[in-house]
Amino acid sequence: MTPKETLIRNRWRYSSFIVGFFLFVAPFAILTRAVYYIVGNSADPTLHSICFRMPIDWIFGGRFYSILGSSWFMAAFAFGVIISSIFIGPAFCGWLCPVGAFSETISRVVPIPNRYRLRINDTKLTTSMRYGFLAGFILVAALVGYDLASDQLGSICCRYCPSSMLQNFSSALFGDLSALEYWHSGSIITLLLWLIAGGLFMSGGRGWCLFFCPLGAISGLAHKVGSRLGFYRVEHENGSCTGCNKCKDLCPMWAIKEDRSVERGLCVNCKECMHVCNAYKLKRGKNSGGS
Amino acid sequence: MKKAYLFGFVFVMALTVSLGAYSAVLGDSELVHFWVAVPAGNVTSPMIMRGAGPPVSISPLVIDLQSRGVLKNTLQPNLEGVSTHWIYNLGKKPVRIRLDLANVPPDIKVDWEVNSGFEYDASTHTFTTPLRPGGSIPNLGIDWMFHIPEYYMDEPVVYDGGLEVIDADTNALLTFIPIKFINGGAGSGSHPGGGCH
Repeated sequence: MTPKETLIRNRWRYSSFIVGFFLFVAPFAILTRAVYYIVGNSADPTLHSICFRMPIDWIFGGRFYSILGSSWFMAAFAFGVIISSIFIGPAFCGWLCPVGAFSETISRVVPIPNRYRLRINDTKLTTSMRYGFLAGFILVAALVGYDLASDQLGSICCRYCPSSMLQNFSSALFGDLSALEYWHSGSIITLLLWLIAGGLFMSGGRGWCLFFCPLGAISGLAHKVGSRLGFYRVEHENGSCTGCNKCKDLCPMWAIKEDRSVERGLCVNCKECMHVCNAYKLKRGKNSGGS
Repeated sequence: MKKAYLFGFVFVMALTVSLGAYSAVLGDSELVHFWVAVPAGNVTSPMIMRGAGPPVSISPLVIDLQSRGVLKNTLQPNLEGVSTHWIYNLGKKPVRIRLDLANVPPDIKVDWEVNSGFEYDASTHTFTTPLRPGGSIPNLGIDWMFHIPEYYMDEPVVYDGGLEVIDADTNALLTFIPIKFINGGAGSGSHPGGGCH
């Protein structure tokens, strides 16, 4: 499929990327601005103002006062994303999240031959690695939060923050070049993992989403549960499958298994597979395929 | 095959915990995040302040530039920052907070990057909204970026000053947190790894 065909077939999702940018990233940050207006906060909202990951850190670190404090809306947002994933899948990840959208876009725009891009075809291995990260994230949050190893461990969320970086890129793009002035080792490592290794050199450009995002990992679990309960998910029907493997090549989340069924712990309901193959359908109700 | 899955799980988990450990190391020397409370007087040693609000842990900052990560020291050694997201009023009366950095040499340029839920006057570094007892400045983010000339980088002590927290109405010094940038020796960042909110 040519880039133009890809663009046309996925026009709604790519338009949604732009909507996500306007909703969360300053100087627009429309959604955050609206929330700040409602709570009477006069700070300048940025992508960093509603952190997608910190509420998860707070929960597993026992920092419940943070959830109920002045940043309650961050927790409400993160829980909203997770709960909605039960019913409609991780649509936020696949359609709106500016961090994932940006790395996927970079991956699609920069023409690096596929042979230089990593793709793990074994969904069980990808899933194991994804939840290995989540286990590590929870372990660090708990050890730091409960003061069991706070001298030896620091925050994963804040030191390795792609949201800050994307916001800095945006601020620089809109005239504030000083936003790109300061780099610390954590931000350089994040740049390497998020955009270079995870974006440019991983097929689909969603390496960060797959292996370093706790909200994405938990949303994947929620989607797995939701699909078993009969809520919206993408399903594969063997009858009309020609075995061309285009679905596997195009899935940005590496969620298509060998038998072409969908690994729900990875799928973000982006519908890329549906756009290249009639065997994939968005379904609701029980009697599901996939896992 | 199951061994590969277990290895994948353990490998990424170990990588994540390692990143957490590295974060603690970096948090002591790169963009150190620290807590501020008023009134605390001259903070000469680490202490836990108790008063109208929650207990606040504050300490002098000694940042060893040699302890920074390899990437930072290689790619951008001449720019270092300190940061806070927390200014608490542990006193008994509301106070309008003014901030100043003491003893900054004229050839070290410092950028103030301030975002706050309170109105802020950038020309005087003053929060015009009074901070009530027990409260903290909401959604605060202050980064101080120190542009250090190359010729300072060989000095054993690059910067020896501190953050002054002043009552904007009376000009009384409420808190002084010493900040020192050194080359070699132990650093003492007060909040390893940082936190953003």
